[in-house]
Amino acid sequence: MSRQQADAADTPRGPFTSWVDSAIENPKKVYRAMFFVVVIFFLFTTLFPIYWLLMIALSDSNRVSEGVGLLPVGFDPSSFVEIFQQIPLHLYLFNSFVFAALTTVFVLVVASLAGYAFGRLEFRGKRTLLLTVLIISFFPPASFFIPLFQLFSQQIAFLGLTPPELYSTPPGVVIPLSAIFMPLAIFILTTFYSQIPDGLEDAARIEGTTRLGALFRVIVPLSAPGVATAGILTFIAVYNEFFFSFLLTGTAAQDWAPIVDGIISYQSQFQVRYDLMAAASIVAVVPVAILVVVAQEKIVSGLTSGALKE
Amino acid sequence: MATEQRQQPGWNPVSRLLDWMENLSEESYAYLLLTPAFAVLTAIALWPLWRTFRISLLEDTLFGPAQTGGFVGLENYVTVLTNQNPLLSRPLIDLTGATPFFRQALLVTIAFAVISVLFETLIGFGQAYIMAKEYRGRRWVRVAIILPWAIPIVIQGMLFFLLFNPSVGFLSDPLQAIGLFEANPLTNSMNSFVIITVADIWKTSAFMALLILAGMQSVDKSLYDVAEVAGASPWQRFRHITLPLIFPALMVAMLFRTIDAMRIYGIIEASGVGCGTVPSLSCLVVDTMFGVTQAYAAAATVAFLTAIIIALVIVGYLVALKLSPRGSYQ
Repeated sequence: MSRQQADAADTPRGPFTSWVDSAIENPKKVYRAMFFVVVIFFLFTTLFPIYWLLMIALSDSNRVSEGVGLLPVGFDPSSFVEIFQQIPLHLYLFNSFVFAALTTVFVLVVASLAGYAFGRLEFRGKRTLLLTVLIISFFPPASFFIPLFQLFSQQIAFLGLTPPELYSTPPGVVIPLSAIFMPLAIFILTTFYSQIPDGLEDAARIEGTTRLGALFRVIVPLSAPGVATAGILTFIAVYNEFFFSFLLTGTAAQDWAPIVDGIISYQSQFQVRYDLMAAASIVAVVPVAILVVVAQEKIVSGLTSGALKE
Repeated sequence: MATEQRQQPGWNPVSRLLDWMENLSEESYAYLLLTPAFAVLTAIALWPLWRTFRISLLEDTLFGPAQTGGFVGLENYVTVLTNQNPLLSRPLIDLTGATPFFRQALLVTIAFAVISVLFETLIGFGQAYIMAKEYRGRRWVRVAIILPWAIPIVIQGMLFFLLFNPSVGFLSDPLQAIGLFEANPLTNSMNSFVIITVADIWKTSAFMALLILAGMQSVDKSLYDVAEVAGASPWQRFRHITLPLIFPALMVAMLFRTIDAMRIYGIIEASGVGCGTVPSLSCLVVDTMFGVTQAYAAAATVAFLTAIIIALVIVGYLVALKLSPRGSYQ
């Protein structure tokens, strides 16, 4: 090291040359540098498209067709106001929130009951039923879609009775999405519930708590991180879902159309208002982006534990 | 039990119900708790799947109020698989020249699944590697890598629509200049297929990375120390320690991603490409159902075939997992 310092003192050198000299002496430094090059590469590929979307949104609407690079063309943030005036984007967002919240609550309650049974009780056919849940989660939505569409648009009658029209209503989206995303929640909750020591539940039962009371007053609170993980993943999944959200709803915000339809209507109705398309996308991304920043650890642990369990 | 008695069981229906639940055997109680979940799964998954199969055995009626007519057995499967079903929607642009439509959709779906899962696995390894190391700011690197996974499909579609849009996007012109892309890549089948694949890789590599990361973290660290002392190069350590030990986790991750990739629909619609330009199997189901013909039986046939193809993929992966050197796993 001292020789190198002496060298640097002898001849005036730039920081790069001296770094190369030290790297030759210590190859670990090169690996480190390569590692950070890779980190920067991945940060660039994941974040740059989102940054660029923001630059389009901030561009002047008359000049945006010239093409947008690193910086906005002109500067006009008014598109963030205009997106709410052209179409009721806030209503679309609200509908999506309602769908995601209702589905999350419904999935958490039903998957808690199932997770408790799978995680803490012994019964015949446990493996078979768990496997059935897993297999159901593998099937493509397209193979469920035709009968569900017929059912929700009153094309099927049971015993002469037609069920109410669920097409483009909250239950018409929430029920299918609950079924699609329930398997992951069941796997996550089964894992967490099975880890609670039996003694805690027994103690509550001796105190006189009912069976259901023991589940919701003892097991669920003690597994709060697991419940939060399952809830966050379900919420994000429903908010992001395309297939059922798009095909089981109309296109008007008044008819419970979610954000999917809101964004798509910008693509189809406002042909060259790229700044509005980008601004609407940015606004719709913000809720999930916040969730990712706040709950990064939970998402990582939930996806890995839920998916690798079986 | 004391509270139970004070509430006078027998009069209040809620406490009667709770009392009844207290007296169930563990097994009956378990089945009771599973009832809501399985009721939902039956209504939304099992029953529709069964009914899809039944519709696929009926005849399509093109005139009159009813969409389907009499029982025709497996005839729909024969016409679809031999590409003779005239009711499957035809694309505006044919991807592979004369290839008829079902095979074309099958080709697109399988090619998409294979190519995207392959690249996602490679990129996933890279991302998992940088998420595993300890350094300052790792939390934010993880957030950045997960972010695309959390972006709604419709916005992912919008993003790639804009990126490859000839006027606003900056990717079209250079790719066209070097002769890779057409003037408007979003209307060309081959170019659009590449765009859709890149969009999927951008969004879902993170999921693969997380599962690989979980596999990496379960590997005993002392194995690496031993290997390093023994003089193994980083590549040898990866090849002989990491890869065999995370193989089961990797297989599960690839299985999940393959199944998911074979459902592809949203990004095709949302990126403005459209099912006519890049037809996938799910596209074919939706288009046949909502197209001019409203051919429910033909759509149901394709839907059920999609389910069968995915089931075959699952079996394939399970066999690979069982035959692997660490087949004792599970």
